[in-house]
Amino acid sequence: MDITEYIKLVFTDYTLRTITLGTAVLGAVTGMLGSFAVLRKQSLLGDAISHAALPGIAIAFLITGAKDSNVLLLGALVSGLIGTFWIRGITTKTHLKSDTALGLILSLFFGFGMLLLTFIQKQPNANQAGLDKYLFGQAATLVESDVWLMAIVTGICLFVLLLFWKEFKILLFDADYTKTLGFNTKFIDILITSFIVLAIVLGLQTVGVVLMSAMLLAPAAAARQWTNSLSVMVFLAALFGAFSGVVGTAISASQNNLSTGPVIVIIAGIFVLFSFIFSPSRGLLFKHIRFIKNRRDIELHKTLAFMYHIAETHENISHPHAVKILNNFQGFTKGTLQKLVDKDYVTIHGNEWSLTEEGFKTAANLYNQQPAPNE
Amino acid sequence: MSSAQIEIQLIACLVAVACAIPGTFLVLRKMAMISDAISHSILPGIVIGFFITQDLNSPVLIFLAALTGILTVVLVERIQKTGLVKEDTAIGLVFPILFSIGVIMIAKNANDVHLDVDAVLLGELAFAPFDRLLISGVDVGPKSLWIIGSILIVTIGLLIAFFKELKVSTFDAGLASALGFSPAIIHYGLMTVSSITTVGAFDAVGAILVVALMIAPAATAYLLTTNLKRMLLYAVLFGIFSALSGYWLAHWLDASISGSITTMLGLLFLVVYLFAPSKGIIAVLYREKQQRTEVSLLTFLLHLKNHTEERERHVNHLSEHINWQKVRAKTVLDLALKNNMILIEKNIVSLTVKGDEFTSQAIDYIITNEDAQIEDMKEDFFLFRG
Repeated sequence: MDITEYIKLVFTDYTLRTITLGTAVLGAVTGMLGSFAVLRKQSLLGDAISHAALPGIAIAFLITGAKDSNVLLLGALVSGLIGTFWIRGITTKTHLKSDTALGLILSLFFGFGMLLLTFIQKQPNANQAGLDKYLFGQAATLVESDVWLMAIVTGICLFVLLLFWKEFKILLFDADYTKTLGFNTKFIDILITSFIVLAIVLGLQTVGVVLMSAMLLAPAAAARQWTNSLSVMVFLAALFGAFSGVVGTAISASQNNLSTGPVIVIIAGIFVLFSFIFSPSRGLLFKHIRFIKNRRDIELHKTLAFMYHIAETHENISHPHAVKILNNFQGFTKGTLQKLVDKDYVTIHGNEWSLTEEGFKTAANLYNQQPAPNE
Repeated sequence: MSSAQIEIQLIACLVAVACAIPGTFLVLRKMAMISDAISHSILPGIVIGFFITQDLNSPVLIFLAALTGILTVVLVERIQKTGLVKEDTAIGLVFPILFSIGVIMIAKNANDVHLDVDAVLLGELAFAPFDRLLISGVDVGPKSLWIIGSILIVTIGLLIAFFKELKVSTFDAGLASALGFSPAIIHYGLMTVSSITTVGAFDAVGAILVVALMIAPAATAYLLTTNLKRMLLYAVLFGIFSALSGYWLAHWLDASISGSITTMLGLLFLVVYLFAPSKGIIAVLYREKQQRTEVSLLTFLLHLKNHTEERERHVNHLSEHINWQKVRAKTVLDLALKNNMILIEKNIVSLTVKGDEFTSQAIDYIITNEDAQIEDMKEDFFLFRG
């Protein structure tokens, strides 16, 4: 299947269109909110909450006996929120650290959810089949109303984000200061956490419990590498998330036996890897290039300083010396020598080098001057 | 009880103990979430092992899975060292991606064999007795019993051999490296043990229960004691208790054994979380309330000491002057009266000799901030117990 054919299919085929839209919207909202989770060092909250949502789904089913996805998601939301606030209770009221609290809530809620699920499966009610799709997610079960729900939640989320932008931003970077300014930090905190929980719960049906944390983190972690501005980061993360959703759906749709969730996660992972390596200011590649360049500069300076000390002992600073002298000096290479020539610090005649006037001056001031900005 | 039931309970107990030991150190080292990461990311290792051997029971699987577990730890550390993201983000990125790779590998190549993601994550303890180990035709017991038993023995052996090293490096990494134990070796040793325990146990009880059994007993024990040996002991006991009670809960409800063991762990944690003598929520809240009252008491006493005029010391005046609500004012007044610190004559409050001394001591303490000033007061007051 080539790309044009696929794009045509997206517009004509109901299922494919729904899934593509759904994963795109989901990716956008998780990316957006994930930025806050990452910056607040709550990255693993997503993992814990997605697991903690399971008993909520099971209890909602036990109470209503129906498999209406909105009711189940409501149950998931409630138990996710209970989990979140219990995590907070554990970390603030006891000396257990946040990772222990997260792991506790994650495994205990999930185990309890499993107990309920197996209990439900033993019930005579035949309606229970398919509850376990929330464990691993099945994008194929998305219907149009689900996508509308996601779109509405994303809209509300965007609205709240814009409305409280200033508060969110200041809370993120200086919580104590926010408090002294008289903002109700508790309220802002609960607001943002609730939205993160909401986004996670929305994603359960599509990508499942385990992969939800990656959906939350990966776009944000990738976006973080390209910018230092929060608004740009949130925008980029939403973009990356939506893009991973679309591309992941496309790849999984074009092949048999390829579940959508994992493919989306891997695409998001590729974004992260790419950003880690190629981002201009923080990326590993450019960092390494800068490192090499700095080392070369230092070697250049070392060579120049060495020449200066030799030239110093002569009356005429341009007195030629054999290149051989430099051989037992380690900073010197043919390349650095050539660079010095290019900068007119040194002239070379055959096998002999001599410092120029300018080179001598530069070398004399090498260690007592500030580097020019922008060099 | 049938022999299968006894075997299931025995396996559950061994898993609980084998998990509680490394779990205690993970909790103390603030690496609890690593166990969650490992338990998910071993999936590709298992799948690759299965492709190589075509046998779900081969030891190669365990070896490769443990290797993937260690790879997870290394990857997390590598990513963290680049400084591009924080540690928790690194964990949160690595394991879902490895897990995804595993799921895709299963979906693409092993769809027709019995290698089920559900089974890996959830496990089914009830089936453990059916998988017997036969040595030259003789049935010597369930295979998982042998696997988890040997892991447990190795774990206990390592714990006894390296207890001192583990202890020092857990509580003071700097001291440990100064004393010449390599923190890296201890770290990776612990990670290897956790990884192997996870792999050995997940087959029987599922990945999530492994996480629960590692973290929950240790966390529960940590609320009860600060002594490492005692914490290990409590964790082991809690693990065994939940394993046994969980089994019977599952038996009674006819539900997943792993799920009910986890539920028992959860209930146990909840009870301790609420009622632990000094670190439980109720104790903490009581202490906070008590401290608040005592701060009020002290404010009140200072007020009395600073004001000699009767107008300022009138009972009715006090509540409005210090701006307390009626109820709290009454509590404080009662507390002060009970401790013989004040006298009330004709609704005029005045300090007794004892109250006066106490207030001076308290002022001294606040000014000098020296513990010696209040040694004898510590008994009566929470406030000064830090």
